[in-house]
Amino acid sequence: MKMRVAAVLVLALAAMTCVARAQQEKLPEASALEKDLAARASDVTEVTLSKQMLAFAAQFMDKDDKDDVQTRKLIEGLDGIYVREYAFDKEGDITPEVVEKLRAHYMTGEWTPMVHERETKSHETSDVMMKIVNGEPRGIFVLEAEPKELTIVLILGPIRMEDLGKLHGISGLGSLNIVSKSTKASQGK
Amino acid sequence: MDGFEKELSESLTRRPAPPGLKGRILAERARRAAAKQNDRHVMWMRLAASVAIAAVLAGAAGWQWQRVEERRRGEEARQQVMTALGITAKALDKVQKRLQANDGKEE
Repeated sequence: MKMRVAAVLVLALAAMTCVARAQQEKLPEASALEKDLAARASDVTEVTLSKQMLAFAAQFMDKDDKDDVQTRKLIEGLDGIYVREYAFDKEGDITPEVVEKLRAHYMTGEWTPMVHERETKSHETSDVMMKIVNGEPRGIFVLEAEPKELTIVLILGPIRMEDLGKLHGISGLGSLNIVSKSTKASQGK
Repeated sequence: MDGFEKELSESLTRRPAPPGLKGRILAERARRAAAKQNDRHVMWMRLAASVAIAAVLAGAAGWQWQRVEERRRGEEARQQVMTALGITAKALDKVQKRLQANDGKEE
């Protein structure tokens, strides 16, 4: 009898672990296109942080620093951060086709476009997408392309806009709130 | 019999051992054996203590190294988080500026 109870408990635990893992978002592998861009870029910044790594980094945030406290609060709940920044010496490497392929690679049914801007003259594009699950933001994707620079940002997990906005030390993160408001206002027009 | 022969004869005469000599010899032998055993015991104790101290020192050094290494990796991870958020901030800032510029054009 005891053995049966123990077996049921073990199975229940295993099932719960599986469910928890299934709920946890996985970061994507770098696409062939990104590898190609990285090979041609003059300056490459690649940051991939899993949930475990974020939790580990959170332990080393300064408790007395306001920004560190906010950053810790922000990253603790996240499933992962995937950031790529490619800078090129000359124009022409970032074509509209490349941008579109990257956009298509990340864009799946769960993502809702917030910003989709195209500057035909300057060849600058901006895409901001949000992943909404049950009405809650569960991820943000930013694709920012200029003739000589391309940035991909993928943040997975529950993102609290108000937490991002509080990160004044990291200039620009407060923009997310403004971007969100601007988009809502545009949609309202 | 001259003096020499007399002296030789006296020297060769069998005399009984002083009383308690055997006991003293046995006691001395036992004392020396005990001392030897004690020395060996002390030597082993010293060796064991040295090994224990070396193990404790090695453990402490290992623990300290692990802490330093963990701290280094933690700082590295923290720096990566800051870099990632910095890039995110820069990208969002550009998006915001582009949106504001477009809003200005529309107005």
